Amino acid sequence: MSFVTVNQLTRLFDLSEPWIVRTITGQKKRILTAVDCVNFQIEKGETYALVGESGSGKSTIAKMVAGLLVPTSGSVIIDNKNFNDANLEKASMNALRRKTQMVFQSPYASLNPRWKIGNIINEPIKAFGLIEDENGQHKRVIDLLEQVGLSERDIKKYPHEFSGGQRQRISIARALASEPEIIICDEPTSALDVSVQAQVLNLLKDLQKNFSLTYLFISHDLAVISTMANNIGVLKEGVLVEQATPNDLFHKPQHDYTKMLLAAAPNLQNN
Amino acid sequence: MIEPLLEIKNLSVSLKKRDNISVAVDDLSLNLYPGEILGLVGESGAGKSMTGSAILGLIEPPLYISAGTISLQGSSIMEAPETIRGSQISMIFQDPLVSLNPLKTIGEQLIKTIKTHFNISKAEALERSKKLLSDVGIEPERIDAYPHTFSGGMRQRVVIALALAPEPSVIIADEPTTALDVSVQAQILNLLKQLCTERGTSIILITHDMGVISETTDRVAVLYSGRLVEIGKTSDVLQRPQHPYTAGLVASTPNIDPNSFEKKLFQIPGAMPDIDDVPDGCAFHPRCEHARDKCHTHRPPLFDARVSCWLLEKPGGTL
Amino acid sequence: MERFFRSDFFYHFRHAPVAIVSFVTIILIILAAIFANFIAPTNPFDPASLNLMNGFTPPLEANEFTGERFLLGTDDQGRDLFSTILYGLRISLFVGLMAVLLAMVMGVLLGLIAGFLGGWIDSVIMRFADIQMTFPSILVAMLIYGVARGILPPEVRYEMSIVVLIISIGLSEWVPFARTVRGSTLVEKEKEYVTAAKMIGLTRQQIMLRHILPNVLSPVLVIATITFALAIIAEATLSFLGVGVPSTKPSLGTLIRIGQDFLFSGEWWILLFPAVTLLALALSINLFGDWLRDILNPKLK
Repeated sequence: MSFVTVNQLTRLFDLSEPWIVRTITGQKKRILTAVDCVNFQIEKGETYALVGESGSGKSTIAKMVAGLLVPTSGSVIIDNKNFNDANLEKASMNALRRKTQMVFQSPYASLNPRWKIGNIINEPIKAFGLIEDENGQHKRVIDLLEQVGLSERDIKKYPHEFSGGQRQRISIARALASEPEIIICDEPTSALDVSVQAQVLNLLKDLQKNFSLTYLFISHDLAVISTMANNIGVLKEGVLVEQATPNDLFHKPQHDYTKMLLAAAPNLQNN
Repeated sequence: MIEPLLEIKNLSVSLKKRDNISVAVDDLSLNLYPGEILGLVGESGAGKSMTGSAILGLIEPPLYISAGTISLQGSSIMEAPETIRGSQISMIFQDPLVSLNPLKTIGEQLIKTIKTHFNISKAEALERSKKLLSDVGIEPERIDAYPHTFSGGMRQRVVIALALAPEPSVIIADEPTTALDVSVQAQILNLLKQLCTERGTSIILITHDMGVISETTDRVAVLYSGRLVEIGKTSDVLQRPQHPYTAGLVASTPNIDPNSFEKKLFQIPGAMPDIDDVPDGCAFHPRCEHARDKCHTHRPPLFDARVSCWLLEKPGGTL
Repeated sequence: MERFFRSDFFYHFRHAPVAIVSFVTIILIILAAIFANFIAPTNPFDPASLNLMNGFTPPLEANEFTGERFLLGTDDQGRDLFSTILYGLRISLFVGLMAVLLAMVMGVLLGLIAGFLGGWIDSVIMRFADIQMTFPSILVAMLIYGVARGILPPEVRYEMSIVVLIISIGLSEWVPFARTVRGSTLVEKEKEYVTAAKMIGLTRQQIMLRHILPNVLSPVLVIATITFALAIIAEATLSFLGVGVPSTKPSLGTLIRIGQDFLFSGEWWILLFPAVTLLALALSINLFGDWLRDILNPKLK
């Protein structure tokens, strides 16, 4: 069985007006199908990338895999456990949370501006009770900072003292703090400049190799995805229209939408 | 030799904050020729948007133009940017909602803009508005619709129609497609290119996206820390970059390529300095693997009217 | 500390004369109130020190019976006005400060809960706030004051009058805090650092108090300043109406009430000096609060 199995995943959103308004104006209920029967698997240590335009449902899938949003139907199984399993014991739930972490799009909103970097990275260690004594926690935080290319002297600084790329490194260090097995990367570089984007993508690749991490990588940018993914799923309006390896997808795209995306993507080498 | 349409000479824009003065655009010289698309590319804070604002006379305190001249068709527009703006130079912003009035139909907005610039009847203005809409790919029947009824890409088309209404000679497009999906982005960029050829309008396209530059522009100017580091024909600059920064920028841009998974992306170490902390000499030298002693102390001039780098000092010197 | 002097905040302060003047005035008034027993020539709350013969002495003139002189004159009972104002300031500032603290704690917590939890809890809290806002806050304070006095047994009413005053003013001023905090909470709770906190399994209470609370507090400081002035005026108004602190321990409002009885008989100073003090205090706090709002609002920078 694959490390992550997404099975018939579906999510509806109720966008209707409140009941009283509907009764007065005679409107019907408006239901949006954000994600529609999506299936995919991710093998341990590999990267599965979801590509799609705005409104394709890729962030909704990310939230459901992260256990932040309950699917309307279908399931996400990570290492044989399911966030929405009512019979899941508290300890297993905690273990599942520890294994599943996330790196976000905005380097500005993803770090609490009032917290020092050391505390931000230490929080998951404390919350999961991974290291009890303060000395050990301090050592681990330094260790994590160095893994993402920052240093001990950054512990006492606040997020606003860092550039966008450095903040994204801090965000990655925080995700690593709980020793996760899968990291959901939701557009992790789309707010960064090109030269910094390359640094962050390379860092993510190095970490994957060193800790055999599994990634669910969400992006709108096919070029970025081509440097990261073992498998790619193309999403359109909540439906997974095509999934393939990068080689197949870029050379023999099957679905018209994939062809259109490939043709529209601005590319340096087309010139 | 073709006369430049828009000429920027030694432009500096400074920022006065508390008792410090820092330089956001530093001694920038650029020419825009008739009918071309010139790309201004750089990372955030490189001064590309500020250059656009300076051309339009939109620089406001605490920013101010501390040196240089901007002239259009040979005459300075530094004194009268208000009248020039709109009739000669139009602007397209990243967020179409900035330029559109949500309370008026697009027809009302177009007619008002046309009537401010041309002394014609309302019926004629209406005809022109419909023509403009069909030029940018919107059915003229939608002239009475409000901006919120359009999708993001269609709104940007409306903004382009508004920008074209005064029949300007220059359009400054500041990240016009950054907020849009790739499929829509391609359509908008094609529209801009087409307008450029059909109407002979010159466009300054400001963007951070090397792919957009590559597919849209005729010439490109690369900015770093408010300074021009390289300028030239887009294909030359992207295929044979002379400045180490341009080379790094091109190499670190990911491409759609199934083999790129095996390789690591090229990365430039560090980040662009803040404008109040620009190093001496060449602003790029702390991140540059070719940096020599001279780069730490002396700012390189623009060699061969193309590259601002000491590596190009001797004839025949290359990267 | 050195960091504070180099900060933008201090820089702007140094370049804003209105802020400096109002801040200095506030500090002087607060210091005068704190050290009243060292500054004031007499203790007006001590009946033994009073001499009824000294009543109605005009400022700086000698009393016609005792020959004593008083900087700001005396009131009807012969209390030295300068001393009474200093001691009265103590009560005004204390009541104002405690009322603001009460309003702040209550408003911030309710706003945080309403914004973060949403749903029916949000509706109940905010509709209650809406209803309270339809009454002038002084009316709400009087209502609470009346109810509290009714509930309390007569023997403790006198001792409890200041506490009752604080509670009634505090309960009448929580709404602006709650509204502002709720608004900021709605923005903050959608940010990704809150999602990150959910990812590590923090409880709602932990997320609210550790993560969101520190990020919604800066506008609270501004509201607290302005509410402080309002609370002082509310206390003065209640005391002026005779429902506040007892006249044996007069606050500024009580003094103004006493003073207005004698305004038309020529003893203008009994009203004027307490009123000017109240005006200076409330005005300075408001001006400082306005400046603070401008400087802490990133949109205006």
